[in-house]
Amino acid sequence: MSDLDKAIAQLRACRPIPENQVRELCYKARELLIEEGNVVSVDAPVTICGDIHGQFHDLMELFRVGGDVPETNYLFMGDFVDRGFYSLESFLLLLCLKVRYPDRITLIRGNHESRQITTVYGFYDECLRKYGSANVWRYCCEVFDYLALGALVMGASTELDASDAPLADPTSQSTLPSDADDLEIEILNSAGQIINRFMRARNNTSQDLSQLSNPPSSPSQQTPSRNGAPGTGASGASRGSGGNNGGAVLCVHGGLSPLIDSIDKIRLLDRKQEVPHEGAMCDLLWSDPDEIDGWGLSPRGAGFLFGADIVKCFNHKNDLSLICRAHQLVMEGFKEMFDSTIVTVWSAPNYCYRCGNVAAILELGEDGSNGGYAPRSNGDVGRSNVVLAERMEQRQGPGRRYRVFEAAPQDSRGMPAKKPVADYFL
Amino acid sequence: MAANGTSAENGRGVQSCMSRNGMWKVTSRKLPILKAGPIEELHERIGIPIPEMIFGDNYVSISHVKSGWTITLNAEDAMDRVSKTEEGMLQVAVAEEWKKQRSKQEEVKQVVKPFDWSYSTDYKGTTEKGSSNGEWRESDPQKHPIRTDLLSRPDPILFFDSVDLYEDELADNGIALLSIKVRVMPERLLLLCRFFLRLDGVIIRIRDTRVYIEHSSGTVIRQYTAKEEQYEAVQEKLRSMRENVAEAFRDANKLGPLLRTLEDRTDVFEVG
Repeated sequence: MSDLDKAIAQLRACRPIPENQVRELCYKARELLIEEGNVVSVDAPVTICGDIHGQFHDLMELFRVGGDVPETNYLFMGDFVDRGFYSLESFLLLLCLKVRYPDRITLIRGNHESRQITTVYGFYDECLRKYGSANVWRYCCEVFDYLALGALVMGASTELDASDAPLADPTSQSTLPSDADDLEIEILNSAGQIINRFMRARNNTSQDLSQLSNPPSSPSQQTPSRNGAPGTGASGASRGSGGNNGGAVLCVHGGLSPLIDSIDKIRLLDRKQEVPHEGAMCDLLWSDPDEIDGWGLSPRGAGFLFGADIVKCFNHKNDLSLICRAHQLVMEGFKEMFDSTIVTVWSAPNYCYRCGNVAAILELGEDGSNGGYAPRSNGDVGRSNVVLAERMEQRQGPGRRYRVFEAAPQDSRGMPAKKPVADYFL
Repeated sequence: MAANGTSAENGRGVQSCMSRNGMWKVTSRKLPILKAGPIEELHERIGIPIPEMIFGDNYVSISHVKSGWTITLNAEDAMDRVSKTEEGMLQVAVAEEWKKQRSKQEEVKQVVKPFDWSYSTDYKGTTEKGSSNGEWRESDPQKHPIRTDLLSRPDPILFFDSVDLYEDELADNGIALLSIKVRVMPERLLLLCRFFLRLDGVIIRIRDTRVYIEHSSGTVIRQYTAKEEQYEAVQEKLRSMRENVAEAFRDANKLGPLLRTLEDRTDVFEVG
């Protein structure tokens, strides 16, 4: 067993590795990351994950639900550290896996992978507590500076093979689409049972996925079969019967920037630095989609909000079918917005050990129709001059399988259940 | 829970406790944060963006059993008292730098939906009078003191709960938290509803509402205290006290005594 495999085993048991091993690991990781561009290319199939925030036991649950590395190809969209009790073990394990299986796991930077933020939100204190000095925190921060800013998933299929699995709720049999052809979205629980399915609407206008999240949050939204019900029209998007390329998927931690209108502009940034307080790099890690027109300044005085028109325009110009981001807590684990042109994926269940939310990961399948060849057509392909039509042609999104999971069982954590301790407050 | 005050679980996440003399009942409900649908509905009703952690189903209430008089503390009513305009709107520490850098970008509108994103509230609870005839009357701490001497005695705690109403991480610029603690002892009860704001590099703010009842009386004493201080001034004080500054900045109990009091009022309701 190599030293690295030993370190992986030790970290999987949630035990920190010695300081000198951390230094060596961080050095190796930096050598690896420095070779990556600001936007890493990742081939489907891939499982995309959102914020982890030091919830180590829930990260183990994520691997249980999504499959282990290297069998499953993972892309983590940042915010590995802070808030949870085990930022150190979580980040170091992911880093070990990166060094051990560089082609099977991609890590991009979140706004918490920063010196300033980690000193306020827990990671710095945790390192100090576990090692007695700030050295390990320093090594980790140096790695943060080398993390990529985004990833581009290529070769994802528009087709989604229906899972051959039982329904989570057998009584929903009659409402779920029985015809598994033309499946766009499938939502599975942590036992692999089907919670919900959505068919691809053949006629785009009849589709209302603008605020899809799981499970349908209120009874009024619980109409799983509303999409692609039989006979909704045979016209609409024409596709071959085989697989189809779902277009590239851009993954970033936060969102878009008014300074960035093409993916190539992200590639030109000088990323090897602490996250600045402003500018394009800051925006990619901090901004949020919102129900507004165009760009807006956050009422806080810093940070951008961007609307559906911005996303649709960016996706069109860059030949993207979807933007995948993390950064915001969503109770249902994921939330698709703006006609499914952008999705928030959140992977920290029971956030801060008290929100009671579920988490999700997003699986994108591989498009086999071109014998594995994925056309790398991203960036400006002479589309920038296209006038934004009233209704812009929207690329068909990839088939999406969300796996939703809850926090790891309490007894796996080796710590007592959190019950309020009576205190003589005044 | 305890053999003396009767305490029971009834309904999802609900716990309650009756005072020994049967005059007062305390109820709390603790559930996960709201899902997307209910958040959307709440947003419609309140008219401002909802904090990222919204415990919309949670509440604590204290009832006078005979008259049905009740004071309830819940997230929706607390948020309804947050400023929905630019009034009182704070700016994060880096806002000035931002303005300078981004002033050239014409495509970016200024603030789209101004509101007090720090979720500062002066909420003092929601009162239902039941069959009681009284009103909240302003009093003072001399006439109607919250008896910290009696509350400091190690009397058995028959019922205790700690309930969050909302929390926002202010996009990692600090924390805004509205939370409640309640404890019932054999002869009295105390509830503390605290709004705590730490806007890094800018301000610390604590707004406490305390509700104090002697079980044998029909008098509800409510004290509201608003305190704040500039972040740097607090930092200075903590340093001079040789406190662990980072840790102290997470502890409202440590910060409280270092802030200036802006408002301190006592109200009394004679229930029966």
